[in-house]
Amino acid sequence: MAGQWWWQKLLDWLRSLFFKKEMELSLIGLQNAGKSSLVNVIATGAFHEDMIPTVGFNMRKVTRGAVTIKLWDLGGQPRFRAMWERYCRGVQAIVYVIDAADHEGLEQAKQEFQDLLAKPSLASIPVLVLGNKNDLPGALTANELIDRLNLKELKDREVAVYSISCKNQKNIDITLEWLTAHAKS
Amino acid sequence: MAATAQDASAPLRGPEKKDEDREEDTEYSPFYGIEKGAVLQEARCFNDPHIDPRRCQQVITKLLYLICQGESLTKKEATDVFFSVTKLYQSKDANLRRMVYLVIKEVCPGSDEVIIITSSLMKDMNSKTELYRSNALRVLCSITDSQLLLQIERYLKQAVVDKSPVVASAVLTSALHLLAANTDLVKRWTNEIQEAVQSKNAMVQFHAVALLHALRSNDRLAVTKLVQSLTKPSGIMPGGVVRSPLAHCLLVRYVSQVIRESGATAGTGSEPRPFFDFLEGCLRHKSESVIFEAARAICNLKDVSTRELTPAITILQLFLSNNKPIVRFAAVRTLNKVAMTHPMAVTSCNIDMESLISDHNRSIATLAITTLLKTGNEASVERLIKQIGAFMSDIADEFKIVVVEAVQALCLKFPQKHRALMAFLSNVLREDGGFEYKKAIVDAILILIREIPEAKDSGLAHLCEFIEDCEFSYLASQILHLLGTEGPHSADPAKYIRFIYNRVILENATVRAAAVSSLAKFALAVEGLRPRVITLLQRALYDNDDEVRDRATLYLAELQAPAIKAPLAPWNIAPRNLEASLQTYLANGTDQPFNLASVPAAPAPKDKKDKDKRKQDVASPKKAPTAPSEYARALAAVPQLAGLGQLFRSSAVALLTEEETEYTVTLIKHVFPSAVVLQFNCTNTVAEQMLENVTVTVDLSEAEELEQGPLIPLTHMAYKEEGQTYTLLRREPGVLAGGKLEAVLHFKVKEIDPSTGEPEEEGYQDEYQLEDVELGPADYIKPVHLGNFRYEWEQLGEESEVADEYGLGSRDLQETVEAVIHTLGMQACEGTDAVPPNARSHTALLAGEFPGDVRALVRLSFGVDASRQVAMKVVVRSADDAVADAVHRIIQDG
Repeated sequence: MAGQWWWQKLLDWLRSLFFKKEMELSLIGLQNAGKSSLVNVIATGAFHEDMIPTVGFNMRKVTRGAVTIKLWDLGGQPRFRAMWERYCRGVQAIVYVIDAADHEGLEQAKQEFQDLLAKPSLASIPVLVLGNKNDLPGALTANELIDRLNLKELKDREVAVYSISCKNQKNIDITLEWLTAHAKS
Repeated sequence: MAATAQDASAPLRGPEKKDEDREEDTEYSPFYGIEKGAVLQEARCFNDPHIDPRRCQQVITKLLYLICQGESLTKKEATDVFFSVTKLYQSKDANLRRMVYLVIKEVCPGSDEVIIITSSLMKDMNSKTELYRSNALRVLCSITDSQLLLQIERYLKQAVVDKSPVVASAVLTSALHLLAANTDLVKRWTNEIQEAVQSKNAMVQFHAVALLHALRSNDRLAVTKLVQSLTKPSGIMPGGVVRSPLAHCLLVRYVSQVIRESGATAGTGSEPRPFFDFLEGCLRHKSESVIFEAARAICNLKDVSTRELTPAITILQLFLSNNKPIVRFAAVRTLNKVAMTHPMAVTSCNIDMESLISDHNRSIATLAITTLLKTGNEASVERLIKQIGAFMSDIADEFKIVVVEAVQALCLKFPQKHRALMAFLSNVLREDGGFEYKKAIVDAILILIREIPEAKDSGLAHLCEFIEDCEFSYLASQILHLLGTEGPHSADPAKYIRFIYNRVILENATVRAAAVSSLAKFALAVEGLRPRVITLLQRALYDNDDEVRDRATLYLAELQAPAIKAPLAPWNIAPRNLEASLQTYLANGTDQPFNLASVPAAPAPKDKKDKDKRKQDVASPKKAPTAPSEYARALAAVPQLAGLGQLFRSSAVALLTEEETEYTVTLIKHVFPSAVVLQFNCTNTVAEQMLENVTVTVDLSEAEELEQGPLIPLTHMAYKEEGQTYTLLRREPGVLAGGKLEAVLHFKVKEIDPSTGEPEEEGYQDEYQLEDVELGPADYIKPVHLGNFRYEWEQLGEESEVADEYGLGSRDLQETVEAVIHTLGMQACEGTDAVPPNARSHTALLAGEFPGDVRALVRLSFGVDASRQVAMKVVVRSADDAVADAVHRIIQDG
């Protein structure tokens, strides 16, 4: 693992000499799904148990290797949902965070998700669905999420699903990998 | 927007000047002519993945420029701009961030959208950068609702005492805006604000003082306390805690507000006004603005005394020779205002003021000259007029109007100088100028002609010359009308005919019609001119305008009739009556010609039927006339009062009942040559009653010279409607009958049936005691403008003189003079109503007229002795001894 990591690092560095990659992401999802936590984990690697709800948005820039990621972390409360679309236009990828342990909120999450993707301005933008909080008991797995959200029916759009845990920093690496792969040079 | 604003003012300026301004403007503004659509297009750059901070700043500046110019964004446009601007938050560029704050404050589309930015602003509010902190505070306070304010209150409160002055004053000014909707919130910060008042930073102190005052502005006592605590000299700082000059200026304003509200006056001079020492102390402050503010505050004090005024005037005089134009302007403007009320106090500045006439700043020069005109004495008038003439062409119309008004006032004050002043007015009348300016000049000349008989001939001649080349129909018609009324009575009426007839040939229809009327008036009044005018009018019969032909035909018919019936006699038929008669005429068929004589001159007689009666009452709510000329007309419309002759004088309105009683009655006393008419304006304030047959009787037992005449009742007095009843008292011509008359209101009360709103059939007689009517000699006197007081005085001679002396006790001289003039109700001549400052003696010359054209001239000599006792010697000269005695009686009673 470690050797491979170093190898990757070297490759990244070499690549960064020739290419400067940048990407813009929108981080959305219902309230308390763990969006701001994810940003913190990506940016600093630290997880805080008690977060205050995001009022409006947070903007963070994170540099991973050769890739600079602009993260628009948007508030998840109902009053902000109408504004999501404005911050998703023209981004390279939409990251939809779901609280995988909150079964009751799932239907709502599905509804918002479908409403958002139906917007013509967001056609063909790749979507990454993250089932957060897989450290909690009863959290849905990636495959369960695909079923529950009818992700298979999404056409003309690249969709990926990971089950992650910000608390335990699980699968954060593959998430980043997926993201950097979608950065444009 | 800029372009339209310019166009509006364009007619006021010369043509070359306008072009100059245009050029300047385009040079000045880099945004000239930008369009909203294009800018909104450019604003898309906010959404670019790579933000160019410089470019974005420029676009934001353009947006802000458009908004400031009055361009408004639609809801959708504002929302789009707002959201794309929020994306600029990713940039760390400080200048761009500042513009982002500004634009958010301006376009802020609505509370639903605004919340998106809240958390970012809150983050900035706690940032380490002062610029972010202060601006985020300002934006947050201006866009958020009170609910969110409660969440951030902790931060705001802390920011009041922030070490950085930028942050502290940002939150203080925001609080000033928040105050309206969130008073309680701001009130909780009082301790912090108090601390900010002590701040060493001038700006913070300024804002804190303003906020502290605003917090207490509703509570007079609290404001007084605040002012007291701030003006109190403390150990280290003798001038009190306030160091910032701006805050000091505010303090001066608050102090003058406290003085004004306390109602304290200089009074007898024994007790100084509160805080006056503070104001005086501010005159020695090292900042010019504070000195000026204090001087201005002193000048604006109510009933300011000369002693209080002197130090302020001295300071302002020093300012007059300051090298900064703004200081000179401020000083001369204040002095100009003071000169209106205390002309003598400002005379000491005259020398400095005269040097300002040549000031290159025209505003200063104009104010200087108008001040001089107000304060100047008779000898300097001609010199001043010459100096004004030199620069009249350089100043804008609005200043010219100020000058013209000043000249008019001066002319009324020194009627002997009318020749020079009239010549000046006619000179400026010949120059180019807009309508407002010309109108001001013509008005001034008209007033002078009316007030100064000697100036009539030359004034009319100037006006004749003016209409020869006058582009304003309104002014030309007005002048022609005046020529028609004044011209026939002048020494040589024939000379005006040519001027007027020229108008008939050369002008537009409106002016031609006015000229025809004017000509006809000459023909009516002057027998010798009649055949010639008839010839001229005959030519107007072929005019191509209907109105002109109609007028010419009418006047010709009247003039050629065997007996002239004076078609220009005052029209005393109420339009309402005429309209009613005409409508009846039309309804009844038009076989017979309409007879004007059948129109009742008095208010239409009321129908017997109740319904009609009420309808009429509603249709003609009798408004009490207020202007003296309206009184004459209103009285002439009452048939019983016709034939009393020319109305001599009407008194001011006096209340005969307490306010808020069942019936409100006010009294106006009208004096006729051989009668006095008491006009009672009655208002019924009881909704459930209808009063009928309302009269007022007066008890004449104490006034034997008066004889009871007819009472003219007010037939109906409905709720909230004002009506008049008159009581006629006859007296011998020349007798100044008077006394205290007991007055009683008589009426018949009819209750109003609440179910139908109709008054009941049966009523009962009732009466109501009014306050006494006082009729004294002062009611018989009316002020007269005298052209030459000395001449008239000599004419009357010493034999008609009645003199007496009065001791008035300890009083201020100026106030005494004003009080005596007011009591007598006479006109002060030659500007003698103003007492020079610190004068120990003064002479005032007054002129008045009694019924029967009896002039009374009064010379009042005042003297003040060492113990400040005022003595007055009154010398009255009049052709009638009874009149002279009457004047003395007024003073004894007053």
